Amino acid sequence: MSAMISIQNVNKWYGDFQVLTDCSTQVAKGEVVVVCGPSGSGKSTLIKCVNALEPFQKGEIIVDGISVGAPKTNLPKLRARVGMVFQHFELFPHLTITDNLTIAQTKVLGRSKEEAMEKGLMYLDRVGLKAHAHKHPGQLSGGQQQRVAIARALAMDPVAMLFDEPTSALDPEMINEVLDVMTELAQEGMTMMCVTHEMGFARRVAHRVIFMDKGHIVEDCDKESFFGSPRSERAQQFLSKILQH
Amino acid sequence: MDFSQIVPALPALMEGMVVTLKLLVMAVLGGVVLGTFIALGRLSSNAFLSGLAKAYVNYFRSIPLLLVIIWFYLAVPMLLNWITGDFVPVGAFASCLVAFMMFEAAYYAEIVRAGIQAISRGQVNAAYALGMTYGQAMRLVILPQAFRKMLPLLLQQSIILFQDTSLVYAVGLMDFLNSARSRGDILGQPHEFLIFAGAVYFVISYCASYIVKRLQKRLVV
Repeated sequence: MSAMISIQNVNKWYGDFQVLTDCSTQVAKGEVVVVCGPSGSGKSTLIKCVNALEPFQKGEIIVDGISVGAPKTNLPKLRARVGMVFQHFELFPHLTITDNLTIAQTKVLGRSKEEAMEKGLMYLDRVGLKAHAHKHPGQLSGGQQQRVAIARALAMDPVAMLFDEPTSALDPEMINEVLDVMTELAQEGMTMMCVTHEMGFARRVAHRVIFMDKGHIVEDCDKESFFGSPRSERAQQFLSKILQH
Repeated sequence: MDFSQIVPALPALMEGMVVTLKLLVMAVLGGVVLGTFIALGRLSSNAFLSGLAKAYVNYFRSIPLLLVIIWFYLAVPMLLNWITGDFVPVGAFASCLVAFMMFEAAYYAEIVRAGIQAISRGQVNAAYALGMTYGQAMRLVILPQAFRKMLPLLLQQSIILFQDTSLVYAVGLMDFLNSARSRGDILGQPHEFLIFAGAVYFVISYCASYIVKRLQKRLVV
């Protein structure tokens, strides 16, 4: 299997404070990797490094054969091929759902209005929200907004999807509708890197689990061994806390 | 007091008002566009650009508007002469317009800058994550939201500018106030005409402020 995302010895500092230390891992094509860990462990920072929303000072990240950190890399072009879903949805509030779905397709990929519309509505239908096409994001619930955000990313035909705590800002009853969409996506073979605390999702869907603590990747193994017998004490503690309830 | 002379003078005063409003609208549009670029400069990570924009804002906010008007009246023809090598006659209107645009841009820039900073980092990230360039993210995502938020402030600043346009008196441009003053002088009734002009400025500014306040309330909800 070839690596879609390859992270090699990535180090990042905020001033004197080191947020990422020698992080290395890979996500193969079609693989679903869940990144977990306590807050402040650097997992969100790491995933934002993958599409260069956060710069890093040392190491290398290669996405689909292109080096993210290289000065010559056309970052907008690279990012257009990697979908990202954010904790707070980040739909554009001044645009309708339809325009949210089509704006990057037409302005970034240069697709025609009709083509973008067709594609956008197809994905909107897939996340079950076709009836809301004409609305503004503010008129939808959090769960619905997040599903639109996933559709918006998918409409760009990404080679991989990054999820940065996609359910953390949601009310409990809305979490599942988002996880269901993600599960379906994983089953279709999308390459996914998900920062999440949803261990049930990790258990069901993930191929591998990465556990981070204080900027280090502490565990990086298939999910059976992670949930069965995590090697590090820190991961054991984390799991016992998070699985208790 | 005899206000009867004002009615026959209205067409002439109206001409002055047209000059005032033309100057106002063009200065606001030009000032907002220039101000937006200066705001983007101030927010730039490029130290030279942001320093230059900051110097511009600080400079124009530290000198009187009247000085800028007189200065541009003298400087614009000189500059054009220097650039084109020809003597280009520039009217008071054009030089005043440039003066207002550049002066107001400093004030608009601060409003626009605050408006851009009020948009969350997450929106910028979302725009970038979809592959947008800096220019696209600004034009399609950030500025449309920012302008909505700052519209009341921009309009408020424009009402102040409406009153300040009367300073063109200094270079002899026949705006509303100047035409009222000269009419009054000719007819020997300077007081009546100035009182009338004052009333007109008051009514327009007050009504505009009232509308802006209502707009502000609607945008907040």
